[in-house]
Amino acid sequence: MDKLKIGIRTKITFGYIFIIIALILSGLYLNNEIRDLQDERNQIINYDSQILTLSNNIEKYLLEMQAGKRGYIITGDDRYLERYYQASQSWESDYHTLYPLLRHNPQQQEKLSIIKKTIDNWILNSGDPVIEMKRNGDEEALEEHFLRDPGRTDIALMEQQFEEFRILENEAISNKTEELDNRNNTVSALLSVFLIVIALIAITMATAVSSSIINTTRNVTNSIRKIGASEGDYGERIKVTTNDEIKDLVVATNDLLDNMENREWLQTNLASLLTKAQGVSSINKLSELFLSEITKSTGSAYGAFYVAARNTESTEYVKKASFSGSGQEIGRESFKLGEGIIGQAALDGEVFHTTNVPENYRFIQTGLGVTQPKSILIVPVKFENGVIAVIELASLDDFSPLEIELVENIVESLGLTINSILDRMEIVRLLNESRAMTEELQAQSEELQTQSEELQSQSEELQMQTEELTIINEQLEERTKDAEAKSAELEKAKKELEATAEQLLINSNYKSEFLANMSHELRTPLNSILILSEMLSENGSSNLNEEQVEFAKVINSSGQDLLSLINDILDLSKVEAGKLEILFGEVNMNELPHLMEQTFLPIANNKGLEFNIKKSDNVDDLFYTDEKRFNQILKNLLSNAFKFTEQGSVTLDITKLPAQQLTNDMQESSNDWIQVSVIDTGIGIPKEKHQLIFESFQQADGATVRKYGGTGLGLSISKEFSKLLGGWITLESEEGKGSTFTLVLPSLPNGLSEECLQSLNQELTRALHEEIAATQEIDELPAPAEEPVSKDLNDSELNETLEKIPMLEECDIFEGKNILIVDDDNRNIFSLKTILEHNGINVLVAKQGQECLDILQSNKDVDLVLMDIMMPVMDGYEAMTRIRHDLKMTDLPIIAITAKAMKTDREKCIQAGASDYISKPIDLEQLFSVLRVWLVTQGSMS
Amino acid sequence: MPHSEHRIVPNIEHAELEIDILLNAVFRLSGYDFRLYNRSSITRRIYNRMRVSNISTITQLTNLIIHDSSFLEQILNDFSINVTEMFRNPSFFKAFRTDIIPRIKDYPEIRIWHAGCATGEEVFSMAILLEEEGLMDKAVIYATDMNEEVLKKAKNGVFSLHKMQAYTKNYQLAGGKEAFSQYYKTDQQFAYFHNDLLKNIIFAQHNLVTDQSFNEFHVIICRNVLIYFTQALQNQVHQLFYESLTVGGYLGLGDKETLRFIELMPKYIEINSTERIYQKVE
Repeated sequence: MDKLKIGIRTKITFGYIFIIIALILSGLYLNNEIRDLQDERNQIINYDSQILTLSNNIEKYLLEMQAGKRGYIITGDDRYLERYYQASQSWESDYHTLYPLLRHNPQQQEKLSIIKKTIDNWILNSGDPVIEMKRNGDEEALEEHFLRDPGRTDIALMEQQFEEFRILENEAISNKTEELDNRNNTVSALLSVFLIVIALIAITMATAVSSSIINTTRNVTNSIRKIGASEGDYGERIKVTTNDEIKDLVVATNDLLDNMENREWLQTNLASLLTKAQGVSSINKLSELFLSEITKSTGSAYGAFYVAARNTESTEYVKKASFSGSGQEIGRESFKLGEGIIGQAALDGEVFHTTNVPENYRFIQTGLGVTQPKSILIVPVKFENGVIAVIELASLDDFSPLEIELVENIVESLGLTINSILDRMEIVRLLNESRAMTEELQAQSEELQTQSEELQSQSEELQMQTEELTIINEQLEERTKDAEAKSAELEKAKKELEATAEQLLINSNYKSEFLANMSHELRTPLNSILILSEMLSENGSSNLNEEQVEFAKVINSSGQDLLSLINDILDLSKVEAGKLEILFGEVNMNELPHLMEQTFLPIANNKGLEFNIKKSDNVDDLFYTDEKRFNQILKNLLSNAFKFTEQGSVTLDITKLPAQQLTNDMQESSNDWIQVSVIDTGIGIPKEKHQLIFESFQQADGATVRKYGGTGLGLSISKEFSKLLGGWITLESEEGKGSTFTLVLPSLPNGLSEECLQSLNQELTRALHEEIAATQEIDELPAPAEEPVSKDLNDSELNETLEKIPMLEECDIFEGKNILIVDDDNRNIFSLKTILEHNGINVLVAKQGQECLDILQSNKDVDLVLMDIMMPVMDGYEAMTRIRHDLKMTDLPIIAITAKAMKTDREKCIQAGASDYISKPIDLEQLFSVLRVWLVTQGSMS
Repeated sequence: MPHSEHRIVPNIEHAELEIDILLNAVFRLSGYDFRLYNRSSITRRIYNRMRVSNISTITQLTNLIIHDSSFLEQILNDFSINVTEMFRNPSFFKAFRTDIIPRIKDYPEIRIWHAGCATGEEVFSMAILLEEEGLMDKAVIYATDMNEEVLKKAKNGVFSLHKMQAYTKNYQLAGGKEAFSQYYKTDQQFAYFHNDLLKNIIFAQHNLVTDQSFNEFHVIICRNVLIYFTQALQNQVHQLFYESLTVGGYLGLGDKETLRFIELMPKYIEINSTERIYQKVE
């Protein structure tokens, strides 16, 4: 960061300046170099001309001196001498000028000094001494001198030396010129080099600067692009190594990213929390969830969540959840508004954040020790101008502004969530309550139904009792009211009764006489038949073939059967007429087995049956009863037993009834009772027929008659006899397993008591009445129930009445009901009508739909309609619809009669208004079942 | 409470205490536990008994219950509400026919538990429904109730003639396919349902409060029984049902009952919400 900042402008400017400076420097350098060259050349040129001039001057001055000397010698004129001396002086001066000039060229200096020597030598040898000789006029010397002339060689040497000097000097000059040319070339080359170097540097710098700019820009672009592509992952940062405006841009961008990342963090946390909070239905769960999330997000070590309790007078905040890193339960359970810092925060509705944690503030327990939190954050959760909840967080670090912002942001929407959860909880509570109440209602309604059923049955019972009481009352009332009339009538009735009884007796006598006569009248021809047929069967004259003999035997045995039947009828009629004489007397019980054996052993042997007779020892020898009838009963039972037994045995078992088995009633008539059982292993009698077979002319079923013959009178006669003897007959039997008939009789030395006889007679009389009524169809006879009118009503009568009520009710379902048959088929109508009428139902008939409607309209007493569906013109559906809609008879039961094949039509029937349906062909039992269901008076159904 | 001689305890607390004692007595004496039954219902039944038998306090009734076994029987009878009908809420049976039968008709065996069957009207209804759907031969209905007396009645299949018109209407509304009269004969007082219907019904005494699961079922029907239980007991019984249902099995409740507030609800889905038919899914 502390790297020196170099901006892009600086970089570019610096580059340009560098290039300009480089150009200027190289220009200056070259300029200098060129000037030097120029100077040097000028110098060379001047020097060269000076040296040439001076050397020429020296040579000229020497020639002048020679010319002066010669002039003087020839002429002796001093003017020439003067020239000489003048030239001698000039020479000297030029020499001294030239010599230092040649200081850079020692070779030339050498040459020059040699030239000087030559000159000096000339002067010394051929100059001054000659002048002296002339002056001294020594002509000889002069002549000699001239003869030898040493000067000439010196001059020639001097000229030659000068020539060499000049050549050398020219060479030196040309060398120098060449050197200058070289230097000139060098400068040219340098110039090119400078230009190239500067160009290269300029390019390098431009590249460096531009690439530093472009690369950084590209980096930034790439980073931004990457961030863009990462969709919301703002974790990436742009890295930059330069320190320029782009870095500024990067820094600014990174700041923006930081900001966005923080936003994102906030948003993510917020959204995740709110999403999680969405499914939460309990405030405790929400609190826990919220705390665990917020402590995680903010790195808090401790947190507590308080929610304002509803429905309290002073606002109280109750802890709903707490969080502590150590897992222990923390935080106070509740606080009131304004109580403590947290209460104050709730009251103000302001976020409270401090790093100045009070001394006594809760210490945070960790696994290793106990520390005090460094900062506390208390945030009230607002909803509709109120603080709905308060969150307290404590951290071992400082809360960053971002974390605080997160908490604040979350809290903004939390209020609504809490409120809606509280509302939802309230709704759930209410729903639950309403469900409980619905269930409760259902339970109550069922209870009520049970109670009402109980009440119903109670009320029915009461009603029945009331009804009975009413009847009794009515009767009593009637009786009280008609007391006198009754007593008056009583006499009359008595007389009438007597007359009736007499009449009855007469009737009975008539009947008995008739029967007796009939028997007689029948017996007379029968006897002839019996005798004659017997005679025939004996075939005395042997003129009958075997078949004819067999016929005669059949005629005889049929005749015998007929005879015994007639005897039975006679006996029975005697019993019924009370004409049968019963003579009680001693019976020797010891003889009984022998007698029975005598009679039945042959039959047993004949049928291959075992015949056992058992008699217990406790049976007294003497027994008092009517021996004739007693034997007759036993014979009847035994012959029955043999008749219906094909294999096995018939047993006669005679025992005395032990005293403890005797009931009070039995003891009243006698203390000595015997029991005679006839046990067979025959076909047996089905349970439901047990009662029936004791009735006259009855056997178990028709098939029995066909197989075993007989009149079926034997048992009923035996029953009647046993009654006359003061006892009775019972039957135990199971179909296929055999039967046991048991005769129970008392020993009656004095015969039957008066009472017994009376009741017997009464019963007989009643039976007679019924029979007479049935046979002679005389309805006018007083009903037996009305006979004992004079007596007070007693319990037994009341009970009898009670028993009659349900019996009457039982008969009543069909009795007097009106059923309308709607059918177009005469045969159906006929059969249904017959069956229904037979059951006491009044039947109306409609042969088509319209007729049905007419009948129903004019006759409101119809209890039920039997509706055939398939009818011409107006079918059953339409008829039913009309009944329900047009006639508005919604409650009238309608039973539809459908064809079995048309199952789908049943629904149509119900839709058309049928109450129920049955299928053709009609099953009578089903028909009556349905009729009972729909004709029964509706009870207590809701 | 010896320290509270001077405190006036409201009568309602007395009553609560007395009822607690009565129910404990009943439980100890009979084994029938009504302590978790809906208190208000039990309270009404007790007061009803007191009114009918002319008893002035609950304690007196408790006394009678303890010392007179006929009173124990009487109060047990009072507590057991046996309100039922054939095809009760016909729409339930219709829904069962249309929604559930197609899902179970291919099972090799169908075990149905009718919990709290009372006098058996609904069991016979279910038997008729299964018969008409051709499923009677492979279905077994376990019909249970805690009251053996009503079970005896149920086994007879004899119902009052007076109610048959209503039952016929219910049968028709429940989507009955035949003539209802095919299933019974009548005399002057009763309708006798055919014994054929009984062939795959097993009647057994079972107490939902104290007895355990005894088989795994494909269908459990328990209608208008739970309304007499507290929420806690309802949860307990639902746990029993849950344990007794196969995964994918169906639970049918009464029309005023719901699984909605029961802890086990997440393990069921609603098949028919109005008819309260649920399916166990996990």
